[in-house]
Parts: sequence; structure tokens; C-alpha cells
Amino acid sequence: MNRARPLDVVGALARLGLAAVWLVSGLLKAMDPDQTYVAVRAYDVLPDAGVEVVAALLPWVELALGVLLLAGVGTRLVAALSAVLLVVFVAGVAQAWARGLSIDCGCFGGGGAVEPGETTYLQELLRDAGFLLMAGWLVVRPRTLLALDDRLGTRRMG
Amino acid sequence: MGGASRNHKRRKQELSEQRLAAAGIRVPQKRTRSPMVVVAVVIVIAVVVGGAVLLARSFGATVEPTYTATADGAVITAGTGPKAIDIYEDYLCPSCERFEVRYGNEITTALNEGKISVRYHTIAILDEQSNPAGYSTRAGNAVLCSVPAGIFPRYHKKLFDEQPAEGSAGLSNEELIAFGTELGAQGDFAGCVQGNTHVDAMAKETEKATTDTALQTEGRFGTPTVAIDGTKIDLNDTSWLQNALG
Repeated sequence: MNRARPLDVVGALARLGLAAVWLVSGLLKAMDPDQTYVAVRAYDVLPDAGVEVVAALLPWVELALGVLLLAGVGTRLVAALSAVLLVVFVAGVAQAWARGLSIDCGCFGGGGAVEPGETTYLQELLRDAGFLLMAGWLVVRPRTLLALDDRLGTRRMG
Repeated sequence: MGGASRNHKRRKQELSEQRLAAAGIRVPQKRTRSPMVVVAVVIVIAVVVGGAVLLARSFGATVEPTYTATADGAVITAGTGPKAIDIYEDYLCPSCERFEVRYGNEITTALNEGKISVRYHTIAILDEQSNPAGYSTRAGNAVLCSVPAGIFPRYHKKLFDEQPAEGSAGLSNEELIAFGTELGAQGDFAGCVQGNTHVDAMAKETEKATTDTALQTEGRFGTPTVAIDGTKIDLNDTSWLQNALG
């Protein structure tokens, strides 16, 4: 056993944790497409046609990222894509906060307008920052335990 | 290359690697592109599934309404079918817009065929969500005005199609009137909209709906709410209308 092993365990926790985040958030969004539409629309950034497209695709893209992370395929690439998506979410929440909208992020289902006193922007941003940290770890050091990358990603020279 | 010769080659390679390993030499490994291909394929599948959901929802032409409507206070009765359905809507409510997109055609068809009658309760619970406040009431009033003007079904749909965002100013009275004129409003539609004719009736109806415990879920009234025979319908069950029709 070498020194890299504990770091592989940390990596595996980050990978499986992020996979769980995407699978749960994607599933909750896919199960209630009308609510997802309302949540996306509440950010008040896109025209209705754009809201329609994002609300339809987002749940499935999240599920895809979740499945890929769970399997550990192309971990670095998938972690980078996750980070990009998370940055978009952070930007969405931050602009809503800055513009004084009162919305729920709809990160894990739900979403839409809430009473002005019921917003939780700070918690939402901190949570996203935590997820970004997990994605960041995997971009920097994608080697993890129990990943399919070990079998799929390398081929013997010859 | 045949399977037999490929196996032969692999066996030879394994043997040579074992000899190298025994001599303490590690064979360098080359990265392949297969993970990238898997990632691309999975993401393409996700986009195709999402796209299919999108297409499935945007197909289907709008069913043209042929039923008539009457208004009493802030309640509009549409159609004359035996099964009465109560629908509570606020014209600024995004979930009501989704409700209309999802069930509008199905409801219109059932109304056209005389299977149901719908009592549309004109509710204003989101007045504070427009800036300046009051869009829900202005829009609801305009829809009540559209009934004697003879354009209710299309006007009702129009206001959801053109629904403004929460937090915005909403449609102006001029815009509300223009939509009516466009749809062929008869009589003094403009005067009715400008005169806030039905505002008191709406306030009364909103008060009545929000305090009716039969319409609440976890102690809260929200829109859209659908009730049949005084019982609130669970809209998570997307076949609620078929179920009601038996």
C-alpha cells in the first residue's frame, strides 16, 4: 500500500458524493417537469422558449453527470462539466439575489417565487460552493477508488 | 484479423509483460479515448431524452373553444356539462400557466363535448408579486369583463399565454384592453377594464377561497387549485380529469 491510497479514498468520496447530488437533483426535477419549468422561469433570465428548453434538458443532463460520476468514467472531464454547471447555478442564484428577486433556487425540486423573508440565497451559494470543491478536487486529482476509469481509461503499450 | 490470431497475440504480449515485470520493469500505460466516448454518448442520450420530452409537450394544436360562459360575481361558469369542476386561478401564478399549458386542451375538449362545466374562480393572491402591486386583480378583472364581451375562453387563454413574470409591472390596462379588442370584444370592454368593475367581487371570492379549509394543503391555499364536489384534487395525478369523468 502506497501513500496515494488515502487520497484515492478522498477522491472516491468526492466522486460518489457529487454523483449522489446530481442523481437526486436530476431525479426530483425529472419527476415534476412543470415545477422545474416554474423554477427555471423564476430566475427571470431566459425568454419562455429558452426556459422551455433548459427545463426539459437540465434534469436529464444532471442524471447523466450523476451516472457517469457513479461509474467513474471520464472522471476529470465529468467533474469539469459539473463545475461549469455549478458555476452557472451560482451565477443564477447570485443574480437573483443581487436583483432582489425572492425565489427558491429549485436546486432539489421545488423552486419558484417565495415570500421576501423566506429566501435562503446564502445557504444555497454555500452549498454550491461545497459541491464546487468536490468537483474541483476531481479535476485536479481524478484518480479514485472503484472507478471504471481504471479499466477503461488505459491500454497497455504494444 | 481473426479471433484466434488476436488471442494468440494477446497471450504473447501477456507473457512478455510477465517477463518484464519479473525483471522489475514496469510497462508504461497509454491513455485511450474510450472514457471520453462514453461520456459523450451518455450526455447525448440525456439530451435526446430531454429533447423528446420537449417535443412531446409542444406537439398538439390548440383545441378551439366552442362552449359559452356566464359570470356571477367573480366566478365564471364555462360550459353546461353535468360534471362540475371548480378551478381557482391567479393570472400571475406561474403554476397556473403550467396548468393551462398541460390541461388546457383536455379541459376545452371536455367542455366542448358537454361532459363538464367549469367554475373558474377568479383569485388574486399574488397582488404583492407585481411591481407596482395589483396585477393579479387587474388581470382577473379584465377576464371577468371578457365574459359579457363574448370572448372569455380565448381571452382567458391569452392572458396565460402572455403571462408577465413575477416581480414585473405586469401587462398595462392598455395592453389588457388591446388583447380584448384583438379578440373581438363587444360592448364597453375598455370601460369595464379601466373601471375595476369586478374588484370587490374578486376580493370577496379570494377571501372565501383562502379561508376554505377544504381547499388547503398543509394549512395553505395556493393556485392552481382544482376541486370536484368540494374535494381538492391532487394535481400530481396527471389523469385527474379522466378519473373524474370515470
